[in-house]
Amino acid sequence: MSAISVQGLSAGYGGEAVINDINFELGEKQLLAVLGPSGSGKSTLLKTIAGFLTPLTGSITLDGILVSDTSSRIPPEKRNIGLVPQEGSLFPHLDVSANIGFGIKRNPDARARVDELLEIIGMKDFAHSRPQELSGGQQQRVALARALAPKPKLILLDEPFTALDTSLRAQMREDIRSILTLTSTTAIMVTHDQEEALATADQLAIMQGGRLIGYGVPLSLYNNPKSIAVAQLLGEINVIPAVVETGNSVRTDFGVSLNQDSGELKPGESGTLIVRPEALAIDESQTPNATIIDSLFHGHDSLISVRMDCGLVVKLREPTHITRTPGARCSVNLTRPGIFLQQNRINP
Amino acid sequence: MRNTDTAKAPLLLFWGAALCACIAAIPLVYLAIRIGGAGVSEIISILTRLRTWETVGISVGLAIVVVTACLLISYPTALLLTRTQLPLRRFWFTTVALPLAIPSYVAAYAWVALIPGMNGFWAAALVLTAVSFPYVLLPLLVSLRSADVGLELVARSLGEKPTAAFFATTFRQSIPAAAAGSLLVALYVLSDFGAVALLRVDAFTRVIYTSYRASFDRTNAAVLAGMLVILAVILISLERKARGRSLRFRADKGVASITVPKPLTPIYSTLSSLWFIAIAVISLGIPIISLLIRLSEGTRRELDWAELMNAMVNTAWISALGAVIAVLLALPIATLAANFRRKSTSTIESISYSGLALPGIVIGLSLVYLSLNTVPFLYQSFVLLAFAYAVLFLPKSLGASRSSLEAVPPALGQVAQTLGHTPLRAWLSTSGRISLPGITAGGLLVMLTAMKELPATLMLRPTGFDTLATELWSRTELAAFGAAAPYALALILLAAIPSFALSRGFLTSEKETMVSA
Repeated sequence: MSAISVQGLSAGYGGEAVINDINFELGEKQLLAVLGPSGSGKSTLLKTIAGFLTPLTGSITLDGILVSDTSSRIPPEKRNIGLVPQEGSLFPHLDVSANIGFGIKRNPDARARVDELLEIIGMKDFAHSRPQELSGGQQQRVALARALAPKPKLILLDEPFTALDTSLRAQMREDIRSILTLTSTTAIMVTHDQEEALATADQLAIMQGGRLIGYGVPLSLYNNPKSIAVAQLLGEINVIPAVVETGNSVRTDFGVSLNQDSGELKPGESGTLIVRPEALAIDESQTPNATIIDSLFHGHDSLISVRMDCGLVVKLREPTHITRTPGARCSVNLTRPGIFLQQNRINP
Repeated sequence: MRNTDTAKAPLLLFWGAALCACIAAIPLVYLAIRIGGAGVSEIISILTRLRTWETVGISVGLAIVVVTACLLISYPTALLLTRTQLPLRRFWFTTVALPLAIPSYVAAYAWVALIPGMNGFWAAALVLTAVSFPYVLLPLLVSLRSADVGLELVARSLGEKPTAAFFATTFRQSIPAAAAGSLLVALYVLSDFGAVALLRVDAFTRVIYTSYRASFDRTNAAVLAGMLVILAVILISLERKARGRSLRFRADKGVASITVPKPLTPIYSTLSSLWFIAIAVISLGIPIISLLIRLSEGTRRELDWAELMNAMVNTAWISALGAVIAVLLALPIATLAANFRRKSTSTIESISYSGLALPGIVIGLSLVYLSLNTVPFLYQSFVLLAFAYAVLFLPKSLGASRSSLEAVPPALGQVAQTLGHTPLRAWLSTSGRISLPGITAGGLLVMLTAMKELPATLMLRPTGFDTLATELWSRTELAAFGAAAPYALALILLAAIPSFALSRGFLTSEKETMVSA
C-alpha cells in the first residue's frame, strides 16, 4: 500500500485553482522531491496535503485513509503530518527541548522521546539552547526533530535548505536524508534546486504552471525525459532539430545519431533531439566543424559555447584543464545517444 | 508558505474584527447623526456665520505658524545632530525628544504661571511649537541618518558644490519625513484643547467647548466638531501619503553609505551649543523652572496629599480600564490585518483608525450626546469615559499589536497545527504568546497617553471624579497656580515614561546602525 496517494487533485485560493489535476502515489519510507520554478504550485500542493487548503477536485489518501476530498477535510491537527517550513520556523520563546516536545506534551514518554530525537539529530548538548543561539543548519535539524516527535505518517519539507549557505547545504542534505532513513519516515520535500532534488530524492515530481509534468525515479527522468520542459528543469540541455532515419537512429546537422528511446518511430518523422552538454565533446583529430564562442569557468568544469558551421549554437562541458579561446576552430561530436522527442511531445 | 495575500480569513475572526471596528466608529457615526438631525437651514446658518470662519481662520493660521516654526527649528537641529561633531551630541539627542513629555496644557500653565498676563494667538503659537517640534525633528533625524549619502557623493563627483549637492539629493530624500512630521504637528495643533483654552485663543476646540457649556447652542458645537473632523481627515490622508513616500526611499536592499560627522570650528561649535541651549530653555527649562518656582512658593493652603493621591489613583485605574478595552478591540483587528491582506480587511483597519481623526473634544461631545439621547444611564459613567479613551487611542494599541503580530512568521502557527493544536490553541501558543510583549506595550502606551487626556475627561467624567488632568485644569481656571504645580509635576513625570522609552529605543537603534556600518 502506498503511504500517500493523490488523485486528480486541484486546489487554490478563493475558488481559483493554482494546481491542477495532480496524480501520484508514493511508497512507504520514500523521499519524494517536488521540483519546480517559483510559482509552479509546489507550496500550494504542500499546503493542500498538510490540510490547510480544501481541494477543488480530487482526493488525498494517507495510509489508506481518505484525508481530503472536495466535501470533507480532516483538519491539519488531526492528520499526523509533520511540517518543516523554510526558515524562522522554530518557536522563538521555547528552548530546543521544548520545541521538539511541542507536539507530544500529553504523551507520558515525551521526555524520553525528546532525548532520543536530540540524540538522532546530534544535538544533545543544545537541549536548553534558545533558537536564536543556533546556526541555520542546527535550527533546521531541530525543526525536523520537532516534526518527527509525534511519529507522523508523513513529513513535509518546504525548501528546507534555502536559508542555508551553499557550503552547508550538501552536509544538511545528507544529514536530513540519513535522519529520515533512520526513523523510517516517508517525506515530501519541495525545492527549486535541481541538484538538491536529484541528489536527495527516491522519487522526483516535476511541476510547472500548476501541473505535474514529470514523475519518476531521478535517474530515469534525467536520462529519459518525456518533454523539453522536464529535461530543462533537470539541467542544461541542447535542443537540436532532428529527423528519424530508421527505427533507432535520427539525422541531425551533426550527422547520424543513435536514439536512446527505441520507441516506434516512423522514418521521416521530424522532432527534436535533446543532448546534455556532457554528451558532446571536442575531438581534436577531426576536421573542424565549429567555432568556439565563449567559455564559462564553473570550477569543476567549464561550459563551452560553440557555433556549428550550420549556424546552430550548442553548449558542451569539458574538464577545466583545457583552455579554449573564443574564435578558435574545433570539431564537435556526439559521444552519447541523445533523446529524440516527437514533434507532438515537445510541448506537453 | 506565506500566502497571506490570497488566503481567506476565518469567518469568526473576520466578523469579530468587523464588529470591533464598528464599535470604534460609534462616536464618529453618532456625531454625523447628530449633525444630520439638526436640519439643513440651521447648518447653513452656522456655516455662513462670520464667527465660524473666524474660528477656522484662527485654527488653520495657528497650525500654519506652528508647523513653519517647527520646520525652521528642526532642519538646522537635525543637520547639526547628524552631520557634525557637536559637543555633547548624545546628550542633545535625548534632550530634544523630551518636550514630547510635556502635555500642552501643562506647558501653557507653566508659561502663564510665570508671566500671568500672557495670552492670545502668538502665545499659543510659542507654547505649541515648544511642545510639538519633536514630531518633525524625530522623523527628520531618522531620515537624514538613513538617507543614502552615496547620492550626495555622486552629485559632488559630478561637480556640484557641497551645499548644492545636499539640496539636490539628501534634502530631497528628507522631504517626505519632514512632510509627515509637519502634518502630525498640524493635527496636534488642531486637536489641542488645553493650551488654546488656557491662553484664550478662540480656536476650534475652545469654541466647541464653550458652545457646549452654553447649552443653548449645542448644534453649533456639533457642526464645528464635524468641520474639525473633516480637517483632521484631510491632514491624516496627506500624512499617510507623505509617509508612504518616505518609506519607498529605503526599498532597495543595498547598504547606504554613511557620512562621517564633520568637526566644527570653535566659533561654530559655540554657536551651535547656544542654539541647543536656547531650544532646551524654551521647551524644557522655562516650564520646569516656572513649575519649581510655584511649587517652592507654596500655596495659600497646605497641599492636600489625600486629594493628590486620590487623583493619581483615579487617573491610573480609569486609564488602565481604557487601555484594556483598547487592547480587546485592537486584537481581532490586528490579527486579521497582520495575516490576511485584502481589501475588506484593510477597510476594517481604516475604520478602526477613526480615533486619529477625532480630537478628544469631539469624542467627548459625541459620547455626551449619545449617552444623553440613547443610553442615559451611561451618561457620566466610568464605562463611557474608559470607552472614550479606548476609541481615542485605539490606533496606538492597534499599531503595536499589529506590528508585533506581523513579526511572527505564519509558518509557526501552521507547524503548531500539524503538531496537533486546534487553530485557536495554535494561535495562542505561537503568535499570541510571542507577540504578548508588543501587545502589552501597546496597552501601556494607551494607558500612559490616556492619563494626560484633558477635554474628553472634562466632558465625560462622573461628577466628583477627579483625575490629575482635571485637577490641574480646575486650579488653573481659578488662577490658583501654586496649588496646580504638584499636579503638573505629577503629569510630567507620568508622561515622561513613554517618551523616555521612545528616545531610548531611538538611541539603541542608532548604536546598532553604527555597529553594522
